[in-house]
Amino acid sequence: MFRYIVRRVMSAVPLLFGLLTFTFFIIRLAPGDPTAMYIRGDVDPHYAEQLRATLGLNDPLPVQYVKWLRGVVSGELGTSFSLNDEVVDILARTIPNTMLLTFFALVLNFGIGIVLGVVSALRRGKPVDHLLNVLALFLYSIPEFWLGLMLILGVSLNLDVLPASGIHSPLAQFLPTWEYLWDLMQHMVLPVFVLGVASAAATGRYMRGSLLEVVQQDYIRTARAKGLSEFVVIGKHALRNAMIPIITLFGLSLPFLLGGAVIVETVFSWPGMGKLTVDAIFARDYPVIIACTLVSGVMVIVGNLVADILYAFVDPRIRYG
Amino acid sequence: MTPRLLFVSVLCCAMLIGCGKRSADKDAMAETAVVAISGDADNLNPVVANTTVASDIASGVYPMMFDVEFDLREGKLKFGPGLVTSWEFANDGKDVILHIRKDVRWEDGMPVTTEDIKFSYELYGDPDVASPRRNYVESMIFTNGKFDIDRSVTIVDDTTMIFHFVKTYPLQLFHLNLSPIPKHVYHNADRRTLRTNPANERAMGAGPFRLEEWVRQQQITLVRNGKAALPYPAKLERVVFRVISEPTTRLTELKKGTVDLMRPVYPEDVKEIQEKNPDIKLITLPPRNYDYIGWMNIDIEAYHNKKVIKPHPLFGDRRVRQALTYGIDRRSILREKLQSYGELAVTDFSPIFRWAINKTLVPYPYDPEKARQLLRLAGWSDSNGDGILDKGGRNFEFTLYYNAGNKRREYVATVVQDNLKQLGIRCKIQAVENIVLYQNIDEKKYDAFIDGFSVGLAIDPSDRWGDVMNPFNTVGFQNSRIAELLKLGLHVQNEREAGPFWMEIQSILHQEQPVTFMYWVKEIVGVNRRLKNTNINTLGITDRMWDWTIGDPNTAMTQ
Repeated sequence: MFRYIVRRVMSAVPLLFGLLTFTFFIIRLAPGDPTAMYIRGDVDPHYAEQLRATLGLNDPLPVQYVKWLRGVVSGELGTSFSLNDEVVDILARTIPNTMLLTFFALVLNFGIGIVLGVVSALRRGKPVDHLLNVLALFLYSIPEFWLGLMLILGVSLNLDVLPASGIHSPLAQFLPTWEYLWDLMQHMVLPVFVLGVASAAATGRYMRGSLLEVVQQDYIRTARAKGLSEFVVIGKHALRNAMIPIITLFGLSLPFLLGGAVIVETVFSWPGMGKLTVDAIFARDYPVIIACTLVSGVMVIVGNLVADILYAFVDPRIRYG
Repeated sequence: MTPRLLFVSVLCCAMLIGCGKRSADKDAMAETAVVAISGDADNLNPVVANTTVASDIASGVYPMMFDVEFDLREGKLKFGPGLVTSWEFANDGKDVILHIRKDVRWEDGMPVTTEDIKFSYELYGDPDVASPRRNYVESMIFTNGKFDIDRSVTIVDDTTMIFHFVKTYPLQLFHLNLSPIPKHVYHNADRRTLRTNPANERAMGAGPFRLEEWVRQQQITLVRNGKAALPYPAKLERVVFRVISEPTTRLTELKKGTVDLMRPVYPEDVKEIQEKNPDIKLITLPPRNYDYIGWMNIDIEAYHNKKVIKPHPLFGDRRVRQALTYGIDRRSILREKLQSYGELAVTDFSPIFRWAINKTLVPYPYDPEKARQLLRLAGWSDSNGDGILDKGGRNFEFTLYYNAGNKRREYVATVVQDNLKQLGIRCKIQAVENIVLYQNIDEKKYDAFIDGFSVGLAIDPSDRWGDVMNPFNTVGFQNSRIAELLKLGLHVQNEREAGPFWMEIQSILHQEQPVTFMYWVKEIVGVNRRLKNTNINTLGITDRMWDWTIGDPNTAMTQ
């Protein structure tokens, strides 16, 4: 298993390098110049021109590539054009914010999704199943931005029980630790709910379908014939096999842990990776775009690796040499 | 203690603390104003900062050279003493002698001196620094094409200095109003990386506030600078600038009372706020931004391929441009999108400069018949009966570009398309990403586009209507008389003397219609009535922020 993991990690290095090189060239070939935003109003008309020189954007593309490559090899990701800050520092600040949001959203997603799926599958064709199906379809169809705004208007503005935006209240930095954490939790409720609930509906559907397929297998009938309790049949024998597609789904969801969720982050002013990436793309902030691609790329590779490893734990037929 | 009991105890404690927090917060918030901002400041070093938020913060943290106000009755800037206690002109107005206060100190206790000011201007003028306000030193002395700080600025002593200009012009004091930064902090800083210098994060100033905390992409907290002598320590303990990028969320926070000040409030939200939120006061800013439709005046292909300037095949004729303005129902757009928060534009001279406005000019009315007549005179007719005007075998058709996501301009584009169709002009509309639009406008790649412009606080049309190569002359408009008038208007010593020149330029622009000037936008600012003594005006929403106080929402506001 260890050798397998090492081999997978080693093979990821050229993949990442290729991805970053591709991104480097593709974003520079895209129309739009990072300094174009500054050719406006009461700014020095020649500012954009000077800024291009200062940022090294006038260098030929191969020269820019070599400079960038030298930076990457020495562990530097460069400086953001729009935020005037080291990209490493920006990531160090943004990734924890994103993880805080996405981790709990994933817990909510898989926690609620699996339970709903199991209940729905076990009550197949009964009113509970129909109700959960309608609910899942409803939640899955609601656009995130709409749900977010409705919750802000309903729960935050009209009921005034939760904050509408941000990670903390304005003066939270002066609160004692417990109060600070409570303030944080209150700010997390709405964005985590919006992010987790729609995905939970989808996960629930997967879980239902998978479990329904498994309970029709011969070995489940055998287990029941042996006189095992329904709890053991479902919990020990059926659920374990039914989890395989869910694990694939989980592996595919891992990049989202660091990739963030742009719509929810924007609606709730949550300073995470999703919004950072999109803002960087619109501003043609090349160093930030490449760094965000790196993070997403790493997470896709890690996600797939984790899913593959988890298969081995769930499915005894799978062994990695 | 069982795990379940432990969990319940922790939850109860947390809830109790949570309940208590509100009152603790309330006490602190009684001395704190919260301003919602749509995006973070790009930099807190005023030499390289470029966003409005950064300027707002700089005005509270850094010493200001002059106490500036914009007199709306006269329509001009007025300068009072700030860090500069008094000033005088010498050498036929080309030299400005400044006397600096002795008692102003940086946060670390070092005095603010003439050396700091000279050093800061050296940075503003250094092309390696790439300051967005480098043009402020353009009329000082250059040697071999490089800004010569030693010949431009003479230090007489710690409190007296002389700025040398190559000419007299109305904006001299305005150009001397750049915020200084402490030389002892930045004197070893690498110029090319000044924008990422770690000292920018800690922004050391000498103003009524000091920077307490800057959590990037989240909030900037300013706290009262108890030692401030310029003008005095802020009356409020804190001002927090919170980044809330989504407009609906920002407005919700204002309605909830968790934000005290925000911009912009959209005209479509005004009625509901007035009906349901008596705690919110809406203030309208005088217009400094306008939208226009740019018609490329010059033939783009000839300009790019042969560097030859010749009239554009569609819009090169003045009569065609006039016809297009007559043919667009600007008033209906105004009514639909801005209501009373906008006014039709005659030219790009803002109505705030009352003394310079040519009042004999009136906006072009919506007159499709007049438009058809002008197009006929310019040789455009539907000779082949396909419903589209043509001339010399070329149909009158083009693409109108605008920035995606801007709903007002999207509406304008559809109205223009419809209006022009009635004249026999085929106008395709296409939304493009902001940054692509700006780049292509800058590179003069579009035949027609919708854009906006924000005018400065003093009249200087040279950036807009000067040389065809000028980045702000987006449509390549050339006029020799305007070039002469610009020289005359920008070389007077007293601003008022330029009035006749500016009025003549407006007449020419009105006649030539290099672009269709659409409307001026009067931005709406929302303020919670508990925030007192605000001075929201054309200079910005945080002008004289140090006078802000928090009080009873039911008592009268100063503004």
